[in-house]
Amino acid sequence: MLKVIQLDKTYGSNKHSLKAVNFTAQPGEVTAIIGPSGAGKTTILRSINQLIRDDSGQILLDDQDIRQANKGELRKIRHHIGMIFQNYNLINPLTALENVLHGRLGAKSTVAGMLGLYSDDEKSEALALLDEVGLKEYAYQRCDQLSGGQQQRVGIARALMQHPKMILCDEPIASLDPKSTKIVMDILRKLAREKQLIILINLHQVDIALEYADHIVGINSGAIVFEGPTDEVNDGVLQKIYRQADQPGAVVTANEN
Amino acid sequence: MKTNYQSPQQFYRQRRLRMLIVLLILIGIYVGSMLLVKFQTWNSIVKIPAGLIWLFHNFIPTERSISYLGPILYQLWRTLLVSISSTIVASIFALMAAILGAKTTTPHRSVSLVIRFGASLLRNIPVVAWAMILLFSFKQSDFTGFLALFFMTLGYLTRAFTETIEDLDAEKIQALQAVGANYFQCVFCGVLPEAASTLTSWVLYMIENNLRDATLVGLLTGTGVGFLFDTYFKSFRYDAAGLIVLLIAILVILLELTSTQIRRAIA
Repeated sequence: MLKVIQLDKTYGSNKHSLKAVNFTAQPGEVTAIIGPSGAGKTTILRSINQLIRDDSGQILLDDQDIRQANKGELRKIRHHIGMIFQNYNLINPLTALENVLHGRLGAKSTVAGMLGLYSDDEKSEALALLDEVGLKEYAYQRCDQLSGGQQQRVGIARALMQHPKMILCDEPIASLDPKSTKIVMDILRKLAREKQLIILINLHQVDIALEYADHIVGINSGAIVFEGPTDEVNDGVLQKIYRQADQPGAVVTANEN
Repeated sequence: MKTNYQSPQQFYRQRRLRMLIVLLILIGIYVGSMLLVKFQTWNSIVKIPAGLIWLFHNFIPTERSISYLGPILYQLWRTLLVSISSTIVASIFALMAAILGAKTTTPHRSVSLVIRFGASLLRNIPVVAWAMILLFSFKQSDFTGFLALFFMTLGYLTRAFTETIEDLDAEKIQALQAVGANYFQCVFCGVLPEAASTLTSWVLYMIENNLRDATLVGLLTGTGVGFLFDTYFKSFRYDAAGLIVLLIAILVILLELTSTQIRRAIA
């Protein structure tokens, strides 16, 4: 279980800052964070694996506080947290297979990782994972030759190669067409159910969130304004989450009130 | 922010006026410098045709020049080897310096600063000056030429490599950090594969460039095809000197064509 407690983060300006963020995400469930752009969705996600250093609070993954981990411990923790991105962030000139094997880097010695010395078992596992996301025949293709949806699935396979407890998804479908969106979201939901993973997704498409998520966290101007099961989300809740989002300067006015 | 209303006519009138002023300033600078160095534009232009005729008459290789082909090709080969080897060795050091110096991969900001300063120093001393300085310590030899090219190339490539690395999408490297990769793994599995094709392009470009510079450096270090050119030139064997120029041009073009092919293959 992931438990975020009183997480605070301030940048120079008020934008993207977090104010006493509390929420939980359960294994076996898809948890979606929704809210207007600039509300702090990405900041929350990147605080969880400490790509962004927050100011104060607690981030408990199975009762271990990620924020207290030293460098070596953090590397081990990150090894078990997969992450996928809006822009996929694969290494383009490398093949799909090599990108999936990067998922093992956190568990390898420095030299073995640098030189790409993977065991036969690891290679077979990577190929099996590509098969699982339906890309076995693309294993030896350069990633920049794959479509957006295919690249995102390579990203998922890379995350699975980490034997993750949790996968963080930062706007995973924002650059995808509806068909690829469905494929990617179906895979993510399946992973939550079958492997009992914590799937935490930033989304700005409310309809997708309502369709796929079991648990919704609504955020506005860096503060949690709703948390609960998806069927408790109604028009009133959505209005609260997205209030003044369409007006320029909305974030500033919200802070002043 | 308030902007004063401006009609399109006013906007274009102002822009034209500004262009005119810039043009007048440029003409003023030209005329001023002409007067200063007592350069007579018209007299110089008149002399161009006669100069060209003399050039063609004396520098066109003749049948006699063919006898010089052997030594010329041998020296050209040596010059090519010096330019390739200096570029390759310099690029290895430049790559290490660039990884330590690029803002995205530097271990510390002060290291980055030192490397940038050093590279800028190496780069901004002209290769001819390098050759003359190194002549004192290493005398007239191929090695002096090698070192002169090496230092200049090191400065130039360090800068080019640093910028290439900094231009990479930082998120891709972050994605590897998120996997749990450490610094060296991020560099070897992320930065280098992403940058490889651009880096190779720079190395190929520098080899072309260094062949031209190596000729010039040879004049000073008394080696290679540059020195041969100097010898023929000073002993009035202009046709042989012309043959050298022609062969250098052919070699540079060949080199360019090859590197274009290689670049296309790895892109």
